[in-house]
Amino acid sequence: MNKELEHSFVSNLEQNQNIVHKICRIYTSDPDSHNDLFQEITIQLWKAYPKFRGDSKFSTWMYRVALNTAITLYRKSKRSINTTNIETFDYRIKVEEYDDEIEQQLRLMYEAVKKLNDIEKALVFLYLEDRPYHEIAQTMGISEVNARVKMNRVKTKLKKILNP
Amino acid sequence: MDELELLKKDWQKQKNVFPKLSYNEIYQMILKKSSSIVRWIFIISILEFVLWTSLDIVFRLNGMHTKIENVDMGLFSIFSSILSYSVLVYFMVRFYQNYRKIKTTDSTKVLMENILKTRRTVRQYIFVSISLFAIVLISTIIYIFSFTDQFQNSTIQGEPPLWVVLVSTLMVVLIFVGLIALFYRLIYGILTRKLKKNYKELEKLEV
Repeated sequence: MNKELEHSFVSNLEQNQNIVHKICRIYTSDPDSHNDLFQEITIQLWKAYPKFRGDSKFSTWMYRVALNTAITLYRKSKRSINTTNIETFDYRIKVEEYDDEIEQQLRLMYEAVKKLNDIEKALVFLYLEDRPYHEIAQTMGISEVNARVKMNRVKTKLKKILNP
Repeated sequence: MDELELLKKDWQKQKNVFPKLSYNEIYQMILKKSSSIVRWIFIISILEFVLWTSLDIVFRLNGMHTKIENVDMGLFSIFSSILSYSVLVYFMVRFYQNYRKIKTTDSTKVLMENILKTRRTVRQYIFVSISLFAIVLISTIIYIFSFTDQFQNSTIQGEPPLWVVLVSTLMVVLIFVGLIALFYRLIYGILTRKLKKNYKELEKLEV
């Protein structure tokens, strides 16, 4: 029984691991922290998994647990105290796909997102993942109206960071 | 906002950007222990319960307790012991109930509230215990000063006068309380700083 559960969990996560990687990308800025957060999210997902009923998609269920871990539960472990900065840890965007100007703009955008606070990052993440507002609101525990209002504020804030 | 839409497109394209973990690598991960804030709060809270209850034993060992017990206060001593143990049991149960409520599948806001509540329970326990301790101590001191012969006689016998003993006891208690306050500012502050900040951020939206 337990083995079965383990197997279904690990293969589910293996297929959906990109979601966790993306969250790590927003919340960390060096490979060590990335792995550390990935590890912690995996543990929390596994702990919550026995209660996963399958009434929602595995990926939808993951958003909540993974974001909660990143925002609330995760504590930077000692070994990953930020020594490398964003520039040196560059998730390489395939260069040939972009001309320089767009690439430059994207890089600035990613850096701007990193400057947001944890809650704002979560909103941006769910927005980038194209989640509907009612789901964003439910995940965060706020009303849908507030989620929209906050998202607009985040957009304004991003604009300000990009064009000081 | 054009830039954000541009980012969104790029964001959804990223497939091969990340290292792909194998089945085995993920499997190894679920065998490891969590280092989450909830785990730390749990460990620290248990330590606090243990520390505080074992202080009672320390007092017995260093003889302070017998000194106080010699001053026969009858029912008062029994009553205060019963009270302090009921307080302990009450808070342990509350703590356990709160701890069980912490679920990562709740919304972010509810999760944060439950964690903060769990922490608050232990903090309340510590402060209730300190108050109880202080009340018992102060009542004992008042009792000694006003009703016992020992206090009047001790100066004649050439022993250190009782008030010296009492004042130094009070000093020790004050230092002790100070250390606990410091402990809270440091450990608890560091541990929940991020949590509190994020919780405020979420709450700001509700106003």
